[in-house]
Amino acid sequence: MTETRRRRLSFASLSAALVVSVGVASAAGSVSLPAPSVLSSLGVRLGLPDFSPLSPAGEAILWTARLPRVLLAALVGGGLAVVGAALQSVFRNPMADSGLLGVGSGAALGAVLAVKLGWGQTFLALPVAAFAGAMAAVLAVYALAHAAGRPSLHGLLLTGLAVSALAGAGTSVLLVATEEYRVKTVLFWLAGGLEGRSWTHLQLGGAFIVGGSALLLALARPLDVLSLGADEAAALGLPVHVTRLGLLAVSSLVAGAATSVAGSVPFVGLVAPHALRPLVGPLGRHLLPAAFLGGAVLVVLADLAARTLSAQLDLPLGALTAFVGAPYFLLALRASEGRA
Amino acid sequence: MKSVLEAKGAVVRRGAREVLHGVSFALREGEAVALVGPNAAGKSTLVRALAGLLRPSAGAVLLEGRPVAAWDRDARARTLALVAPDEEAPPALTVEDRVALGRYPHRGPFRPLTAEDDAAIQAALTRTGIPHLARRALETLSAGERQLAALARGLAQQPRVLLLDEPGAHLDVGHQLGLFRILDQARAGGVAVLAVVHDLQQAAAWAGRMVLLDEGRVTAEGPPDGVLTSAEAARAFGVSVRAHALPGLAHRLYSFEEPS
Repeated sequence: MTETRRRRLSFASLSAALVVSVGVASAAGSVSLPAPSVLSSLGVRLGLPDFSPLSPAGEAILWTARLPRVLLAALVGGGLAVVGAALQSVFRNPMADSGLLGVGSGAALGAVLAVKLGWGQTFLALPVAAFAGAMAAVLAVYALAHAAGRPSLHGLLLTGLAVSALAGAGTSVLLVATEEYRVKTVLFWLAGGLEGRSWTHLQLGGAFIVGGSALLLALARPLDVLSLGADEAAALGLPVHVTRLGLLAVSSLVAGAATSVAGSVPFVGLVAPHALRPLVGPLGRHLLPAAFLGGAVLVVLADLAARTLSAQLDLPLGALTAFVGAPYFLLALRASEGRA
Repeated sequence: MKSVLEAKGAVVRRGAREVLHGVSFALREGEAVALVGPNAAGKSTLVRALAGLLRPSAGAVLLEGRPVAAWDRDARARTLALVAPDEEAPPALTVEDRVALGRYPHRGPFRPLTAEDDAAIQAALTRTGIPHLARRALETLSAGERQLAALARGLAQQPRVLLLDEPGAHLDVGHQLGLFRILDQARAGGVAVLAVVHDLQQAAAWAGRMVLLDEGRVTAEGPPDGVLTSAEAARAFGVSVRAHALPGLAHRLYSFEEPS
């Protein structure tokens, strides 16, 4: 099979998988809605005839609770996967993801701080505080790394690690100092999840995620040049430092937005690009869109599992992606060690 | 002949350390120059400074008479290509896609590749003798084949100056001869070629002119035979060099001995 055919087939399968998983995730749940009626209800909004009407209660569940949640899951997964793919090219390391920039730990600190200050129940306070925390952490990483001139990739990585550790320490101290009943609110957020997310969350997060992902895709060719290494990229006329900084900034925005609405959703940024690179190749213009689709499918399904596996409670979404992602990574590692 | 690339008293630092202490030399159109010298003489630093990747703290590097740092980046990369030994390209990248990135200075970040770009890419693959590897991932190639893919990327830039840092490093003798033949073809097409070459025998057989760099200074320059048999070469490498003319051989052979 030629690469072009394999790539087309991959994109077709990924798109189909996304449509099917969004459909299934919209129909299934604590109240299961008949699939044809869900399709029909979606079709009505597109001006198609209502061939199988949902009950008014079903309509309400689908349009106010389930659909925004499912679509948000798709955007969060897609955004995290695109950022993972982009950062892996920038850092030229298949293990790079947004955690390196301090996004996750900064967001956690922001969220915990908001809860400590008693804003936990205020609408949108958590995501806004988390986003602010993520951006503050990323800015701290940039500023500290640049304190001694233009940093190497190594310098950026180590600075990210140090800032993350600091933010993590701050988070633990705050958690210990927070009243127990408040801790529970933020624990759910820290573990990652999409319970009770609304259209407002979707609009807020989606704007950053969709806009940022599109921007990363537009920068696919500079990203490819950058993946050749700093020297070769500079010799090809790429302004290495500015390009790298721009890509990191956009990546931080997307990952920050995704994390602020969904909490910590680990491994998506690693697994989706890693699994798709052999199918569509490492070029940005192929890998980034494929990663978006793959990450979206992954998180839509993980969120479906999170709310349907247990009848009593929503499982943490972040735990589910880790349950899938960590073993996948161990297997991939064993395969690559075996080959070497 | 007109010099296309020129260092004028270039002083280059790496961090706090001064590596090049005022290097001057010129590379002329259609010329093949071998840059030789012992380890840590500053050869790679010089090549990077000539390519505009390192800025001299004093003196200047001139590309077609203009300081290389003053060039627009894309225009510079259309005029001068650098092929360095550190192969850092993503392992899953195919040879053709790698070579196609050599068109970046011609098309920039957004414009799609044209038929002209495709022609340049195919020509570069053909000239390096690797069209059959075009669809292979870099990780499936030998080190020598990867070196040829890197060279093909440089040729796809369609430069007027080609700088190579140890292009023959991973190649067996047959592939080395093939590589220098490719460089000769480029040179015959008017490209000025400067290569850092470790194998002095190969360097002498290929180059029209040799530049000896020792401890950050050019200490000898001229026809390869004269440079290799000079007292400066003996001092730089810490060996004594003898040249042997053999009947039926176009160039002389050299033997090297540690001083007794």
